[in-house]
Amino acid sequence: MIDVLVLTLLVLLAVSAIAVAAFRDPLAAVLAFGTYSLGMAMLWAVFRAIDVALTEAAVGAGVTTALFLVVVFRTTAVRASGFRSVGTVRARSAAVLAVVVGALLWTLPALPAVGDPGAPGFQRVAPEYVDRAPALGVDNVVTAILVAFRGFDTFGEVVVVFAAAVAVLVVFDREVVR
Amino acid sequence: MGTAVTAGALGWGPYVLAVGLVGLGLFVLVDDDNLVKKVVGLNLFQTGIYLFYVAGAFRVGGRSPLTVDPGGGPYVNPLPHVLVLTAIVVGVSVTALAAALVVRIHDEQGTVRASELRSAGVGDRE
Amino acid sequence: MSGDRQDDVAGTGVVLSGIDSPVVTATVRLVTPFVLTFGLFTAFHGTSSVGGGFQGGVVVAASIVLVLFSFGLDRTLRWLDTTAMTVLAVGGVLVFAGVAVAAIGFGGPYLDLSAYPVPKAVVYGVELIELGIGATVATAIVAMVVEVGRWGRR
Repeated sequence: MIDVLVLTLLVLLAVSAIAVAAFRDPLAAVLAFGTYSLGMAMLWAVFRAIDVALTEAAVGAGVTTALFLVVVFRTTAVRASGFRSVGTVRARSAAVLAVVVGALLWTLPALPAVGDPGAPGFQRVAPEYVDRAPALGVDNVVTAILVAFRGFDTFGEVVVVFAAAVAVLVVFDREVVR
Repeated sequence: MGTAVTAGALGWGPYVLAVGLVGLGLFVLVDDDNLVKKVVGLNLFQTGIYLFYVAGAFRVGGRSPLTVDPGGGPYVNPLPHVLVLTAIVVGVSVTALAAALVVRIHDEQGTVRASELRSAGVGDRE
Repeated sequence: MSGDRQDDVAGTGVVLSGIDSPVVTATVRLVTPFVLTFGLFTAFHGTSSVGGGFQGGVVVAASIVLVLFSFGLDRTLRWLDTTAMTVLAVGGVLVFAGVAVAAIGFGGPYLDLSAYPVPKAVVYGVELIELGIGATVATAIVAMVVEVGRWGRR
């Protein structure tokens, strides 16, 4: 049952990603991207990554798509239509695609299959975190790792978000959000 | 969900899709002429990498990493979830900054097409 | 270009002047309090269920971006308190840094939450830090979308 669900979501993701790349109009590409983000969030929920799925649904299908819509409406007045023709693809870009995909696919057989319980990732660090977190009183292991065990990285990340907001203000020559 | 792991759709399929998304996102980033679509390609690339991490964290028969119910069985690996969570929020910051730059470029140069910007000499050394 | 409608630069006039449909505005007006409450609930319950600072913060940010799209930039900025947003953004980072550094004052290493002489110190410390994270993430994302949307208007 779960195999059918995962397969359906994988096909949806592949089709919408190809649509994002193929549409000539950036508005159509952004709308396809919204579908793609929502499908990705659903796939992660099936993979039992619920915190991540919640965040991706709010961010990918919400904030990022809205941001792209704002940018598209500000920058493009003429509406193109249809798909990009294969003849407009440059040889360099196709070479980049082939090299990257080929090299990564070549390394894939060395990985354990998805869902394999004997994968090395489950051996040492993860079970220790899962055992220590409820002992501290925090039931959500992801939150415990984020703040209690690896709080240093999280602090850096919060500062990055703040710095990005400051950087956007700098791009627009503003000092405060008013 | 059985305990046998088959090399089917749940075998290496998510990894193959993740690789495809990485390649496709890079392709859109490099090839497309519209700056806005380049940023969308960057987001495709990022989410492909997140899929790789989340798929690698999954185990058949695993539960989500909440220890609320006592006697919980095997859990999925929570560590990649933490990495992806941070990466998503940093990714939206990068996207917002890129969007700000695109809007500013459009208002200064009048276009968001990379070919027109290149022929206008934007970004060339003085 | 000072007298024109700056958000009509691309000639569409739709975004950031709001959507004129009463269905959209009525729905958003109805749904937003629940979504904001859910976002705060998610942010507050990071230690006992799904949730935490990032999750709750981005849900709140997405809800406010939805309001921005439906009601337009002017009305939303009249409703949003941008000074409070700035205070929350800075305050979130400072709360995180404060809780982390104050652990040194109690004898433990940096960010060792069990160094506090309070019962269940780790849980309270985590929840306080999660609130700080949620505040900063939500307000920073909303500030970025507002700034991108309002560029060009004087």
